[in-house]
Formats: sequence, C-alpha cells, structure tokens
Amino acid sequence: MLETVVQAVINGLLIGGIYALVSIGVTLIFGVVKIVNFAQGEFVMIGMYISFFLATQFGIDPIASLFVTMPALFVIGVLVQHFLIRRVLGPNDMPQIFLTFALSLLLLNLALMLFTANYRTVHTSYSDAAIHVSGLYIPVAKLIAFVVAMVLSGLLWVFLHTTDLGKAMRAAAQNRDVATLMGINPNRVFCVAVGIALALAGAAGSLLMPFYSAYPFVGQVFVLMAFVAVVLGTLGNVVGALIASLMMGIAESLGIQYVGADSGQIVVFAMLLLTLAFKPNGLGGGRVR
Amino acid sequence: MQSPGQWKVVALAALVVVVLGLPLVVTNSFAIDIFIRILLFSFIGVAWNLMGGYAKQLSLGHAAYFGLGAYTSTILQVDFGISPWIGMVAGGGVAMLASLPIGWLCFRLRGPYFTIATIATAQALMLIFLKFRDLAWGAEGTTIPNLGNAPLMMQFEAKAAYYYVALGLLVLGLVITYRIENSWMGYYLVAIGEDEDAAEAIGVNAPRIKRNIYLISAFLTALAGTFYTQYIYFIDPATAFNFNISIEAALVAIVGGIGTLWGPVIGTLLLETTSALLQSWLGSSIGGVQLTVYSLILIAVILWRPTGLIGVITDGWRHYFPRNPLRA
Repeated sequence: MLETVVQAVINGLLIGGIYALVSIGVTLIFGVVKIVNFAQGEFVMIGMYISFFLATQFGIDPIASLFVTMPALFVIGVLVQHFLIRRVLGPNDMPQIFLTFALSLLLLNLALMLFTANYRTVHTSYSDAAIHVSGLYIPVAKLIAFVVAMVLSGLLWVFLHTTDLGKAMRAAAQNRDVATLMGINPNRVFCVAVGIALALAGAAGSLLMPFYSAYPFVGQVFVLMAFVAVVLGTLGNVVGALIASLMMGIAESLGIQYVGADSGQIVVFAMLLLTLAFKPNGLGGGRVR
Repeated sequence: MQSPGQWKVVALAALVVVVLGLPLVVTNSFAIDIFIRILLFSFIGVAWNLMGGYAKQLSLGHAAYFGLGAYTSTILQVDFGISPWIGMVAGGGVAMLASLPIGWLCFRLRGPYFTIATIATAQALMLIFLKFRDLAWGAEGTTIPNLGNAPLMMQFEAKAAYYYVALGLLVLGLVITYRIENSWMGYYLVAIGEDEDAAEAIGVNAPRIKRNIYLISAFLTALAGTFYTQYIYFIDPATAFNFNISIEAALVAIVGGIGTLWGPVIGTLLLETTSALLQSWLGSSIGGVQLTVYSLILIAVILWRPTGLIGVITDGWRHYFPRNPLRA
C-alpha cells in the first residue's frame, strides 16, 4: 500500500522535473517581459524534433543533443523577442496575447504539415533500463531527465542571483521604468530572458526524447501543465513555479494511480479551477523572486 | 454630386439585395456551404466581439457555449422530441447559466491568465461530456434523426433555407451589437476595455457589466451551436467543444477589427474565403494548411494593423468621400 503511494510520488516527481523546465520558462518570460508565451509548448516540440532528427540521422544521443537544442532555441528566443514580441509591448493586451498564440498555432500546424501527425520515438540503450531500490522502480531515462532539469533550474537561480545580467533581469522584472533609468537596456535583458526560457523548453524536449514520443501536438500537454503551475506558484516567481510543477507532477501521478489512467488532464483542470477559486494569487505571496 | 450619406444608403441597399438574393442565383451546394460557414462564423465572431472586442475580455473558451447550445437542443430533440427551435433558446439559457460560475472563476484573473482560464473551462466541459456517458452519448456522439423536410424541427431539404436561418442569426447579432454600442452599456464596456481600474474609479460597476455582457455573448454563441448541429446532423464532444471554434471566434473579430460592428463579418469573409480557396487548390489532404495560413494572417494583422482590416476599408472610404468641411 505505502509502496504504491511512494512509487506514484516518485513517478510524479520525475516527470514534474520536465514540467518545471517548461513552467520556469513561462514564468521567467512573464516576470521579466510581462507577457504570457502561449507558444512555450511548441518550443518543447521543436526541441524534441531536433533531438529526434539528430538521433536518427547522426546517431547522437538525445541527452547529448542538449548541447544543440539549448543554443539553437536560445537564438530562436532572441529572434522571437527582437522581431516579434518587442513590437507588441505596450499597454494593450490583445496583440501580446494573440501574437504568441498565433505563433503557437503557426508552429504547431507547420509541424503538422512538415512532419505529419505521426508519433516519432527514439530508442536509447537506457530507454527501458530501471533501478530497483527496495521494491521501488525508478526508470533511468526519467531519472536523468529529472536530475538534469534540477541542475539547469539551479544554474538559472545562480545566474539570476549572482551575475550582473541576472540581477538586471530581476530589476527589470520588478520595475521596468526604474531599471531603464538605472542604465539597463530593456530589450537586451528581454532578449536574454526569452532566449533562456526557450533554451529551457528545448532542454525539456531533448530530455523527454528517450522516453516520450514527438508529435505536433505534444507541446499542448506540457504548456497547459505549465500554465497551471505558474498560477499556482505565483505569476513570475521562478522558485514558486519549480515547486508547483513538482506538486503538479505528483498530483497527476496520484490521480493516474487512484482515479484512472486517463485522468491526468482532469487532475490538471481540477487543480487549475481550485487554484482560481481559492488561491487566485498563487500559494505564495505576490512577489517576483 | 451625391453626398456620402446617400452613398451609404445606396451601398447598404445593394448589400441587402445581394445577401438576400445570393442563394437564389448561386445554387452550387459547395458555394452555399461556404456562404453558410461565412454567416455562421461571422455570427459567432459577433457574439465573441461583444465581450472580447468591446470589453477586451479576450476569451478563448467560447466553444463551451457553442457546445452547450448544441448539446441542449440535441438532448431535448432526441430524448424528448422537442423542436430545436425551442431547444435553441433553451440552449441559450443553459449557456447563460453556465457563464455565471465560469465567469466567476475566470474574471478573477486578468489579461492573458483570463484567456488561459477560459481555455481550461471549455476543455473541462468537453471532458465532462466525453467521460460521463450517461449524460450524452460519450465520445461516440450521436446523429440527429433525419426527418426530411421539417421546418418546425429546423430541418430543411433546401440548403438555401439554412442560409436564411444563419443570416437571421447574424442579423440578430448585429442588431444587438448595434443597440449595445449605442447605449450606456456600450460606453461602460469600452471604458472597461480601455482601463478597468480607471473605469471602476469613475463609478462603472465593472464586475456587473462584465457578467452581463458575458451572459449575452454566451447566449448568442449557444444559438450558433444548435444551428451547426442541425446543419451537420451530428454531434460529439470533439466537434461541439472544438477548440478551433474558440480560436476562429476570436480570430475573425481580431482580423476584421476588434470592437467594431462589422469587424467580425469582414474578418470571416477574408479567412473563410482564403480557407475555401486553399481547399479547392490543395484539397484537404495536407493537415494544418488552413490554420498555418490563418496564423500567418493573424500575425500580419497584429504587427501591421492591430485595429483590424476594417481600418483599411474606412480609410479608403474617407479617401474617396472626404467629410464635407461645410457640414462638419
């Protein structure tokens, strides 16, 4: 009995690490640039397809392809911020919401046209491997994904708190006007923020590839989870998003264990609706950290 | 030399003649099908625009009300033999009731997170209809019994009849929008859309106004759901609560001109015509072409014409018919 609970918690925690990479990206962009990136899930998808093609064409291990997906998506992020998002920043909500939403639609449907709706998988030597510890079952691919996700999150935290650029980013998040007066170039900071956020999404894509299929709609699964985690963890709060993502992963896994295999989505919606009803400002305060 | 006012009357009269006579001249059923889609999505866009355009509450969850309208009238018809004409109004009522708790939840958030909350509530409703088979046929859905030509049951042999029903809905939506636009409610809505805090500061009861416009918008969207189900003779959760309906409702309004009377109609004309042309050129073999083109149009409009294409048309009108300086 206890064992199945612990097992479900472990499963949830491991996938929660991936959710964390996606939601940290969403919350970072929201905190710094003050827009919601509806296309974040599609960048996970792009990461997955890059890893897939590197694996099938050049035999590169999906985890190793992190070193390609992260820089590639960082560059895409800078371009997206500089050529698209920068042009719609202002007091008006509509262009901001629908620009990234249109981008999401565009990338999803381009993928559908180019790669069809087929599921693509990469089989690695460790895809089916697992560690057995006192009756518990820990899949190696998911463990690697979780550890790398936590390391990347930690590196981001260190970057935000110790480097000048990271501090500039947090300053711009707290008060854009004052930060600009202090000599911070907002567009440069925004470019880096969006770049990092997309690099994290790309990393999530590579880390998923050994145990998850790539298909055009795959991003939708993760972005919805990320949106809930970002509300739950207080908008714009990186640590909050991380903790909330792990909680979401565990909640989803317990739901699958005790309610039914296809109840994952229901759990997500239930959590979102409960959050909105009782904690619309998130579990923490309202501060950007 | 005639004045712009007279020209406006002439243009409007010509429009009425063309719109009423179209199905009599064009009898190709593929073409009429496209006209019906244009009328229907214009109407859904008009319903969305009341809340999304004037009050800038950017919902991407209007499929919820479309689906509720479709399911209410279908359940009433299939299980109780009640005419969809009555079911249509009942569906509107159900949608209004549903908009109260949904609004209560979603209006707690503003801006993009309001949008996300509306997506989630619509998806949650779809899941309810998928999972609870006792409620309404589950994932398989059901077909509407074909009664031949039964106008009292909203079933017609002539496609043109559906055209006129859809036209009636659109006219209803436009008249309601026109009345609201020219009332205190319209000004309150625009004030909320411009700056909700400022509107509340000068005494606009924003929560109440938003709730009321959500009720109207939900009611109208539900009517479209009933009509669509009757038109295609089939219902299942994936069609009735299709996310693409939520997307297209917002898209046509934004592309045409958000918060304007005719914006959604102009947007639908452009998008649906493009989609029909693409379909006849490429066939429907390649998935994703239509939405790829829609999203490119949307990005272009947002970057270069955020007020929508209606601005292009009114600018053109002003160019050819400049305001008479003596009358101003």
